[in-house]
Amino acid sequence: MRLASFLSLVLIAAFLFVGILRLHPVGEPLGNPDVFKDRGDAITDIKNVDTMDDYYLRNGQTETGSNNLVASVVFDYRAFDTLGEATVLFIVVSSISMLFFTMIKRKGPETSGVSRIGEFPGGVSRVITFGSFLLYILIITFGIYLVVHGHLSPGGGFQGGAVMASATALLLISSLMTRNVQKTKKIFSFFESLGLTLFIGIGFVGIGVSFLSNFLANGNPLLFGKAIAFGPNPGYLVSAGTLPLLSLAIGMEVFFGLSIILVTMYHAAKDE
Amino acid sequence: MISSVIFILLSIVMLVTAVISLYFRDLLASVVSYSVMSLVLTVMFFHLDAPDVAIAEAGIGAALTVCIFVIAIKLTRRREE
Repeated sequence: MRLASFLSLVLIAAFLFVGILRLHPVGEPLGNPDVFKDRGDAITDIKNVDTMDDYYLRNGQTETGSNNLVASVVFDYRAFDTLGEATVLFIVVSSISMLFFTMIKRKGPETSGVSRIGEFPGGVSRVITFGSFLLYILIITFGIYLVVHGHLSPGGGFQGGAVMASATALLLISSLMTRNVQKTKKIFSFFESLGLTLFIGIGFVGIGVSFLSNFLANGNPLLFGKAIAFGPNPGYLVSAGTLPLLSLAIGMEVFFGLSIILVTMYHAAKDE
Repeated sequence: MISSVIFILLSIVMLVTAVISLYFRDLLASVVSYSVMSLVLTVMFFHLDAPDVAIAEAGIGAALTVCIFVIAIKLTRRREE
């Protein structure tokens, strides 16, 4: 058994190293220079391109209107994979809250809602409460920035949602969150389901071409359709078509899903 | 030159914290060591021009996983038998 696990580890490492040998060098993304010689029209002839990453690098900006090529792959070219990941997260959240929700002692609805700052809620010091409140605002702002600018700068729905969910932990340790866990969980799971439903709904709107096709890109500038040029440029907030909308949906799903995990586990572990 | 030296140093710190987190009997200390490893890994991802992965690692690896581990330790036992 030990030998088998060791052998499989060596095999996986060997495959990864073979994959690394085929990567572009760090800082030199342009693999085949001939492909990038003419910077005019997008390459429609796939035969001109050596590998898939060359195609993304050459056509990603002009086809999707997104300056962040990682986001263009995650939410446009491979959006169906993202739907699978989001579904996995949804199932994980459902099963974890099922496991831990039975452990929460049901003691009837508690009267106090959100505790005010400086009231020493639950015996927590005022320094912790107020500091957590200040940090909460900063972290949530950064998370919203990551989600909204997912198609322009590094970030996107998953990253922004995870950053915002770490702010929920701050709320929990400072007792600023409402103590009625049933109500909290109901609200959070509503918004989590809304995020996933929004993702699938946007996918179905573009079904004239294919499921999850980017039907808004390079169209009406008022509907996220502003076209951008190839090469380094700051980009526009209203470009990239459905990409910002999908990013927003995923951000909502990840934030509320991870928050549900934290809230249910925290209340199950809390002894009163 | 200087950047590769920093990179090797960070890799050593990451390896040491990873091994330490395996060998601690106190699980809370082990989780803190794991968090330090995630933080160093974040810096390394940023150094390798992968800010997307760095943000995800900082949010999930260094913050959320540690929170969930701490809650799980509170639900079970703090010391490994």
